[in-house]
Amino acid sequence: MKEAASKESATLVEVEDLVIKFPVRGNKKNRFITPVDKVSLKIKKGEALALVGESGSGKTTIGRALVRLLKPTDGKILVDGEEINDYKGKSLAKYRQVAQMIFQDPFGSLNPVKTIESHVKFPLKKHQGFKGQELDQKITDLLVQVGLTPVNEIRKKYPHELSGGQRQRLAIARALAVNPQFIVADEPTSMLDVSIRAGILQLMNDLKQELDLSYLYITHDLASARYFGDRIMVLYGGKVMEIAESKELIKHPLNPYTQLLLSATPGSESQINLKDMTNEPPDLGEGRKGCPFVHRCPLASNECKEKMPALEEVSNGHFVACYHYDKEKIVF
Amino acid sequence: MEAKQPVLELENVSVAYDSQAGMVQAVNDVSLKIYENTIVGLIGESGSGKSTLGNAIMRLLKNSAVLTNGTIKVNGKDVYQMDKKELQKFRWSQMSMVFQSAMNALNPVLTIEAQILDVLLSHHKKMSKKEARAKAVELMEIVSIDPSHLKSYPHELSGGMRQRVVIAIAIALDPKLVIMDEPTTALDVVVQRSILDKIKEIQKVKKFAILFISHDFSLVSELASKVAIMYAGRFVEVTDSQSLKQAEGHHPYTQGLIHAIPHLTADEVSIEGIPGNPPDLVDLPSGCAYHPRCPFANERCRIERPAISKVNNREIECHLYDVERKEVVKS
Repeated sequence: MKEAASKESATLVEVEDLVIKFPVRGNKKNRFITPVDKVSLKIKKGEALALVGESGSGKTTIGRALVRLLKPTDGKILVDGEEINDYKGKSLAKYRQVAQMIFQDPFGSLNPVKTIESHVKFPLKKHQGFKGQELDQKITDLLVQVGLTPVNEIRKKYPHELSGGQRQRLAIARALAVNPQFIVADEPTSMLDVSIRAGILQLMNDLKQELDLSYLYITHDLASARYFGDRIMVLYGGKVMEIAESKELIKHPLNPYTQLLLSATPGSESQINLKDMTNEPPDLGEGRKGCPFVHRCPLASNECKEKMPALEEVSNGHFVACYHYDKEKIVF
Repeated sequence: MEAKQPVLELENVSVAYDSQAGMVQAVNDVSLKIYENTIVGLIGESGSGKSTLGNAIMRLLKNSAVLTNGTIKVNGKDVYQMDKKELQKFRWSQMSMVFQSAMNALNPVLTIEAQILDVLLSHHKKMSKKEARAKAVELMEIVSIDPSHLKSYPHELSGGMRQRVVIAIAIALDPKLVIMDEPTTALDVVVQRSILDKIKEIQKVKKFAILFISHDFSLVSELASKVAIMYAGRFVEVTDSQSLKQAEGHHPYTQGLIHAIPHLTADEVSIEGIPGNPPDLVDLPSGCAYHPRCPFANERCRIERPAISKVNNREIECHLYDVERKEVVKS
């Protein structure tokens, strides 16, 4: 911690007004929806930003845009100072060495007919140019690093012979094989058993320290976001509702949606009864305006329906987008 | 003190699957009592046997799975001593189940109303369609869905609403026992909370007993009053949920789980995973099935299966549990 303070870490990823639109077929009213609408964020070197939201909030879409698995409709993504929006072909292949992704489903993201070894061998050869003895050593090192031991036994196995936790470790090893600076981890533990999850989060945390990695950690679980994320960003209906340091956000949630999310999370001290809470999804359609949470928010006013409030810094590093937030008043 | 009759009574229940690798014990000698108006949580990882146990109580085990030992009584009646007709009447009117994939538990080509009426009319032979419709409206109101949705098809409802419909169907005949197998797993946290709050509210009125099966430790310990923790087909611990706030004084596996979960509000956030992997039921470790992952394990744990120690309201299955000191002691 002290070290980080003395050398103010440089920004690695910078996103400005990211907009992503998806076409909708067969719906005359809407020709497209906007699952991500003007999202801006920054991730420093060696920092983990946790992106929290419910299904449909746009969190995975943002993650995919950042590793350029899809192309943003509008806005800028700068990684290490370079704009990556229009990368294709060779430049995109090169970008794969900077940014990697770990997917939610370790049962679907590995190739069932390839051995464990070949999952990491290919990127090591293709992107890093290792050969022969050196390549072999590198494979061993990587598998050891992610805790897939005994290596000699495991490297010849196939994915179906591994447990869920081991598969996710392999997915991490594969991401690390290109020596990336930035990893998008999309719900990496949500399909794993409870006793295994902690181990994966610990591993990701260790790698972050050792390799000075930056993460975008996508999750719906505030408790793990608080554990793994240095900062938490709360997303609803494709808009940023609140960003703050993890501890601060959990302690002093200001946006009503953050408060709702927090009080609904098991382990919160909230006693508020949500039995009749509706969960109408937010409007992502064409010509949307105003705050996406307006139809569920107890503080909603006409202003909220007309125009999305800007993100405003209320205290050091704590940003909220809400016209009516009140430090003293918790609505959920 | 006169003991009330439990709604659900499991006595030395074992369930085995007949597989190519021989008989696989999915549930191994478990006993439990649940009384009316309570929620008992059943926590376990995948493959621990928790869903198998739920299905066994409903007598819904598939061909290859059989109850090999023990008795299951609901309201004092042995579920496995009934003939087919009796069981048909008993099931759903006395005990019902909310299934794991409740999102898909509804028939996609029937309206919600048709599915509720089906349950009502097949059990109440004398009920008229009109009465049944009125009851369906009432049920929808109980689970806070606008009765206009009775004419909807399942795909027209959101996941949370579908789940509420499934719950409405489960309580349609006022059963004494409702088994809920991961009823909120596929839902967003806010929806999950709203459904759990709803369940608690309905229970206050209807007073049924709930066996709540889940892998979510924090959720269950918050919701249930009593919790059974299942590992490799056995209850390694049965305890009141209050006690789960502290890691001390529990079975090593329970301790491990408590340490493995990041806490939302605690000041210090550190977590520690449990080493190793959940056991393979086909090839269970000898002695205590948890010993390969247990930090306290000694020679005895490898050889001999521990007996259950009962202290106050807690049952713990561990050699190293010191009854006097109420904690697990490394010897």
